[in-house]
Amino acid sequence: MGANKSRARLFDFTVRSNERVAEDSFAMLVECEVAPLLSPGEFVEVGVPGDASQLLRVPLSFSRADAEASTLRIEYAVVGDGTRRLSQMRPGDASTLVGPCGHGWRLPAAAGRALVVAGGIGIPPVVAAAEMLAAAGVRFDAVVAAKTAGRIVGPDVELLRAAAQGDADFRLAVATDDGSAGVRALASAPAAELLGERAYACVYTCGPAPMMAGVSAAAQAAGVACQASLERMMACGFGVCGGCNVAMADGSMKSCCMDGPVFDAKEVLW
Amino acid sequence: MVSAVSMAVDLGGVRMKNPVCTASGTFGFGWQFEGFFDVARLGAVTCKGVSAKPWPGNPAPRIAEVRSGMLNSVGLANPGAEAFCAGSGEYLAGLAGRGCAVIVQAVGHTVEECQAALEALDSLAPWAAAFEINVSCPNLKRGGRLLGGTPADAAEVVRAVRPLTSRPLLVKLAPVDVAEVARACEEAGADALSLVNTVNAMSIDVHTRRSRLSRPTGGLSGPAIHPMAVRMVWEASQAVSIPINGMGGVASWQDAAEMVLAGATSVSVGTASLYDPDLAARVVDGLEAWAVEQGVSDVNELIGAFEC
Repeated sequence: MGANKSRARLFDFTVRSNERVAEDSFAMLVECEVAPLLSPGEFVEVGVPGDASQLLRVPLSFSRADAEASTLRIEYAVVGDGTRRLSQMRPGDASTLVGPCGHGWRLPAAAGRALVVAGGIGIPPVVAAAEMLAAAGVRFDAVVAAKTAGRIVGPDVELLRAAAQGDADFRLAVATDDGSAGVRALASAPAAELLGERAYACVYTCGPAPMMAGVSAAAQAAGVACQASLERMMACGFGVCGGCNVAMADGSMKSCCMDGPVFDAKEVLW
Repeated sequence: MVSAVSMAVDLGGVRMKNPVCTASGTFGFGWQFEGFFDVARLGAVTCKGVSAKPWPGNPAPRIAEVRSGMLNSVGLANPGAEAFCAGSGEYLAGLAGRGCAVIVQAVGHTVEECQAALEALDSLAPWAAAFEINVSCPNLKRGGRLLGGTPADAAEVVRAVRPLTSRPLLVKLAPVDVAEVARACEEAGADALSLVNTVNAMSIDVHTRRSRLSRPTGGLSGPAIHPMAVRMVWEASQAVSIPINGMGGVASWQDAAEMVLAGATSVSVGTASLYDPDLAARVVDGLEAWAVEQGVSDVNELIGAFEC
């Protein structure tokens, strides 16, 4: 049930920019006072204007929350009516969001290199993890995967490279379902390879569930801790609707918005 | 704000400083909303349904968005009476102390489970102003038909739980033949009625041909059901003399005012709290301004003041 206290508040936000960054994805920079309150891996519930018959807010993760500038960089894929209308918001447009929601990434418990693994539009929280690691002086390697080359979120890959700047040993593996960029595989395949080749202290992953299941299994086989950021249909994002349940390996149910979205991967029933 | 209008109402023995309440399952245990507004401003809150033992609820997905509404098949997941009181009791006792009545909903899959839930809650929740028994659950002993879907079934549940508490007892009705069921509940000893619960509904993904929920059907809530709920509140209020806690798709103070005119003594904000989390507080202000505009000195003058 949590600690009997919710951090979620209602905030106004203004769009600064909203640009296409891949075939199906956009990056939106918003100005919002929630930014200083957010930690990497948490999320916000965004109200998308334009259709009063669509009630629910859209839960969205972010790649960077800039406390000083009070800005939030949100990348999202257009998958339905809500995200399509979101993609039509212009600089200066305003709406509201609810946040901070959820619990984010934790720094590795053990010293050593980290591996971050992103599938599809799971990349923004993975960028946030990489920047958190870099700020803490933890070096990392990265795996980025998508359905096709056109769906790889290029600017986020650049953010990953930038976070690894100065690390001559940094490795970046790319995979696509059709082989149009990097190897033809799910992200879990190059992740398993890297886990076999190098010693890691922790794995951070976000993407489609089958991919994260594979990454989790590979990490467990290598004896490496793994954190996974999960996605669920959510009505509220602050522990009220009971809609975002996650089945755990021990038979219990947890709440994605209150106990997650970041879970210890070995505790999840994949 | 000093007001010329008295906004206090009495919901079957639950004294509320204003007519605004929250619908169970859409307001958690109250504390989740403290970041959005001072919850003590509400006349009452109704907690998410609690069973005697913990219920894990249904598998994912439990939520599907539809036009002007939402389907859910949460399955009344809850931590059970003991963990609920241990985890949220202190907050709710404080809320009661701040002048907001706390209504605790009891749930069960059988008449016996309803009794066990109410018995546990009556002893563990001294801060509760009243209990609400949810008779809209499927009855697992009777092939899944609603616990209280018919007048006879609803009366059986109410008679079975009525002796277990001396505090006011509300009955939460499914959107069925509400006038008949309302009468049966009144005769069986209910102090007030909450209506309506969600409407059983479906949504199918045409690509996969599967339900958009983990179950074939779920409960429809939100503005889509509001006009139907207003009609049912009106019908029930004609049928009984006990007060009615009206709910169903309330998404503005105007929707709440409509419920009052149709005969509701109090009005509960439901699904709208999930996406518009400070709405209930705005309904408090809106109803008061409306009462002033209507030129009454007491909001009770507006209950059932619908003119046809």
